[in-house]
Amino acid sequence: MLQIDHLTKRYSSTLAIDDLSFDVKPGVVTGFLGPNGSGKSTTMRIILGLDHPTKGRAIVNGKSYGELKDPLREVGALLDAKSVHPGRTARNHLRALAASNKIKKSRVDEVLEFVGITSVADKKVGDYSLGMSQRLGIAAALLGDPGILLFDEPVNGLDPEGIRWIRDFFRSLANEGRTVFVSSHLMSEMAVSADQIIVIGRGRFITQGSIDDLTATANGTVFVRASDIKRLGAAITAKNGTIHEENEQGLTVGALTSDEVGQIAFDAGVTVLELTPQRASLEDVFMGLTADAVEFGGGTFESTTHG
Amino acid sequence: MDNEVTLASVAKSEWIKFRTVRSTIMGTVVLIVLTIGLGVLVTALVRAHFHTMPLSQKLTFDPLSTSLVGLFFAQFAVGVIGSLFITSEYTSGAIRTTLAAVPNRMQLSMAKLVVLVTSMFVICEVVCVAAFLIGMAIFSGVVPTDSLGSGPVLRAVLLAGVNLTLLAVFGYALGLIFRQSLACISVFVTLLLIAPLIGLAFPQSWQNDFMKYEPINLGSSMMSVVTKANTFGPWEAFAVLALYMVALLALGVTLLQRRDA
Repeated sequence: MLQIDHLTKRYSSTLAIDDLSFDVKPGVVTGFLGPNGSGKSTTMRIILGLDHPTKGRAIVNGKSYGELKDPLREVGALLDAKSVHPGRTARNHLRALAASNKIKKSRVDEVLEFVGITSVADKKVGDYSLGMSQRLGIAAALLGDPGILLFDEPVNGLDPEGIRWIRDFFRSLANEGRTVFVSSHLMSEMAVSADQIIVIGRGRFITQGSIDDLTATANGTVFVRASDIKRLGAAITAKNGTIHEENEQGLTVGALTSDEVGQIAFDAGVTVLELTPQRASLEDVFMGLTADAVEFGGGTFESTTHG
Repeated sequence: MDNEVTLASVAKSEWIKFRTVRSTIMGTVVLIVLTIGLGVLVTALVRAHFHTMPLSQKLTFDPLSTSLVGLFFAQFAVGVIGSLFITSEYTSGAIRTTLAAVPNRMQLSMAKLVVLVTSMFVICEVVCVAAFLIGMAIFSGVVPTDSLGSGPVLRAVLLAGVNLTLLAVFGYALGLIFRQSLACISVFVTLLLIAPLIGLAFPQSWQNDFMKYEPINLGSSMMSVVTKANTFGPWEAFAVLALYMVALLALGVTLLQRRDA
């Protein structure tokens, strides 16, 4: 069980996290979603006691991270796969970690085997590809067989096979009753790998729920193809509908249901050729949720040389 | 609790880390080659030319300090070993993995200190005794020699190793403070070599009062058999240098605890 309680983090001039609160429950994969720079990594670092919060706290199994007596047995984390001395071998890296928390040496071989890097375990980590480093990071996270696992952008650098492996892996960890907390800036990735999603933007909590909950909150659109698009468009606008897109194929209409669009077409005497309710895509939902909260949005360009 | 992270378990972990990177191995090789290699070179040269020395030089000749001449360079090797022990964690980002496993930063810094002091003490003592014995063996028969059987000589040779160990701690404390190797090495060299040069610009009376506090002069006081004017005795010099290290470590550990990793 992981609790974020009114967490605030200010770096000299920027507010990285702003009064953030949420709980992450065991037994499910919880996605932590937000645009780049929204405070996901900072939150993860605070959970691990690496950064000190300005206000509030992160609570791990009822304690702050610093109070844990054998932290690797309670929390396993993969923040940055390259957080390893490049001159050390994977085996020695894991041995040193294991020794600090009194984890027996044989466990090192087990986790190396599990992530499939036994054959390169005696090579220097600096020579590893990003994918191999990710696997080493996962091995390190599993070392203490912890009940809580944190992964910051774990699919970065993985090939499709690796991505599939890691999804199944998250699922099996959750099925074992563990708390699995995975950050990503990709909604599509979260849609396939997470049961629950927490969305943040600019360090603030935006929403929380299942993928279905999130897509349901976003208004869908209706695609309509008709005999006289111009007339239908005018009728829809008159009834407070919005035209998102208009071309020779048809109209994409917002703010109205397909029933309403059908009725409007009938009243206007236009023959409907196709009427399709369209569910908002996950990316649309995400963009809609975080539109106000993108740190470095693409602004409009203005000429500075005129006059 | 049986599985609790302890100073001993963290020290074990840090010992594995310390001996499994090339910088430690290379630093130790450099330390040995400089101390013993330069010692052999200089003592052999002295042996070859001793008969040409004027009588006054022969009378004041100090076999001990001649055999340990390589220590002047070795002190930079141990400074680098000490600082890299912590700065390499910052440059590679490994400090995050380390602190996630050992959240108690006081415990972590003390475990590192224990590993550094123990290993450096053993290595430096062996190197200093070896350099001394090899030097005396080369001198033997031609040049007057000292013996470890003499109390002050034994003390000087052993304190030479202690001095190097303290300088490794110096590098480590600077590493905790600055978190990057280049800054550490610059400050280390400045305090050890450049500060004494600046001291020379001051009036003689000031020099007499203050130069004995410079780390490099404390070091030579520690490994000297004769107490010169305006210097500390060997044990006093050791106490002052150790106090410097305690103060720097206190600052370093405080910063480690306060700062984000």
